[in-house]
Amino acid sequence: MLAVRNVSKAFGADANRYSALEGIDLEVSEGEFVCLLGPSGCGKSTLLNILAGFEQASGGTVEFEGAPVRGAGRDRVMFFQDAGSALLPWLSAEENLRFALRVRKLPRESWPAIIDKYLTMVNLKDHRHKFPAQLSGGMRQRLQIARALAVEPKVLLMDEPFGALDALTRRRMHGFLLDIWRRTGKTIVFVTHDIAEAVTLADRICVMSVGPGSRITEVISVGLPRPRDPGDPGAARIFKHVESLLTFMEAA
Amino acid sequence: MRAPLLFGASIVIAFAAWQFLSSFVFNPFLIPPPLVVFETAVPMVKSGEIFQHVAISLARVGVGFVTGSAAGIVLGVLLGRIRLVNDLLDPVIELLRYLSPTAMIPIAVIWFGIGETSKYFLIFWGTFFIVLINTTAGVMRAPIIRQRAAECLGANQLQIFLLVVIPSAAPYIVTGMRIAMASSFMSIIPAEILAADSGIGYLLQISSILLQTNRIFVALLTICVIGFIFDRLFRMAVDRMLSRYMSYIALT
Repeated sequence: MLAVRNVSKAFGADANRYSALEGIDLEVSEGEFVCLLGPSGCGKSTLLNILAGFEQASGGTVEFEGAPVRGAGRDRVMFFQDAGSALLPWLSAEENLRFALRVRKLPRESWPAIIDKYLTMVNLKDHRHKFPAQLSGGMRQRLQIARALAVEPKVLLMDEPFGALDALTRRRMHGFLLDIWRRTGKTIVFVTHDIAEAVTLADRICVMSVGPGSRITEVISVGLPRPRDPGDPGAARIFKHVESLLTFMEAA
Repeated sequence: MRAPLLFGASIVIAFAAWQFLSSFVFNPFLIPPPLVVFETAVPMVKSGEIFQHVAISLARVGVGFVTGSAAGIVLGVLLGRIRLVNDLLDPVIELLRYLSPTAMIPIAVIWFGIGETSKYFLIFWGTFFIVLINTTAGVMRAPIIRQRAAECLGANQLQIFLLVVIPSAAPYIVTGMRIAMASSFMSIIPAEILAADSGIGYLLQISSILLQTNRIFVALLTICVIGFIFDRLFRMAVDRMLSRYMSYIALT
């Protein structure tokens, strides 16, 4: 579904040129849950921005359903960590969804049913008239999910979406996201630096090296039944393995 | 309840101190005590003289402030959004903004005479730069995440501009207008002192020539009260009409 071939990304020119990504190859199939995992500054967010179409690769090709990616589109919706900035804070929960439907150019008659459907899916129906600032961090992220789903994207691109939440809320959001993923069958590319999070969620984990010139150094198929507990022997083994990869990287 | 009480107490104490100081410490001719000032004010209020001056000054501030704000917002938005316009105009604006309305009085009198136009121009001049600079800052600081989020939901550039960038800039624009309004009330006085035959500034000037210190104090008090009232009115209007764009700043 998403095909990244030999992609590189550099910022600046000449002496100030910084190579963020080099030789990135990645295939994501439909309905797959892929995690991009790496330490801060490894270029994983840059790669996600390229997939979204916000930034252009300096070299290589990025294809979505066989066609090269040119700019952002609602088939690949990005999901940000800072929901307070990503949402429109002057609109209520319901109005934020309405905004999405408005730019999607759906006929007005269909709006109430769609808004109901997605607010119900994320358990925010009782909070529809609240503004983002009146919602908790977890609720804001759920609202962002509902708004993204309302434009019926094929891919969800998530940039450390739960990084700012407390551990308990994050755990709950993991279960919640997996539930939505199962019910909607969306393809998800999820950026994180949290090994446990990647092991809990992903079908495949792509481990990235530190910049400059980050690459995907190893791809791990998790292949464990869900729901997973990071303490289970299978999950723990993968956790240890990824951890040693990252530690080795740091030492190098 | 506590705040209005304290506000009242503060005013009462100030007047008592003023009464005491001017009666027993300073020369009551140079600093007329509040009771004398009120005695002077009563006939001025009854004859309507003071209202005439206030009305004329307000009309000048009104015309200059409204046109200056409108022009400042339009150009400010262009400057914040279009790189080329910014590169071309920003250096000029950075230089011109040091010309206060007071500095422009002599040339304004030559250009427009001492009629209404010169006063409109001077208030326009002061308002324009303040609103312009704040609008530009607001447009430039519209969070990039919010624009990208809207973009991948399917919003086109015009929708991003009208539905995301402008509302994000609203608090900056309103703050700029509030500062500009205070500055308008300050700059109308020198304009009227130097080049007018009516208005509060003219009342100050003519009373000074006639050594009528108590009438000067009536005029000064009037300026305080009018400025205060209009700032409150402006804030009330903003709270009424734009609260959803303003309040989130305090909450997020």
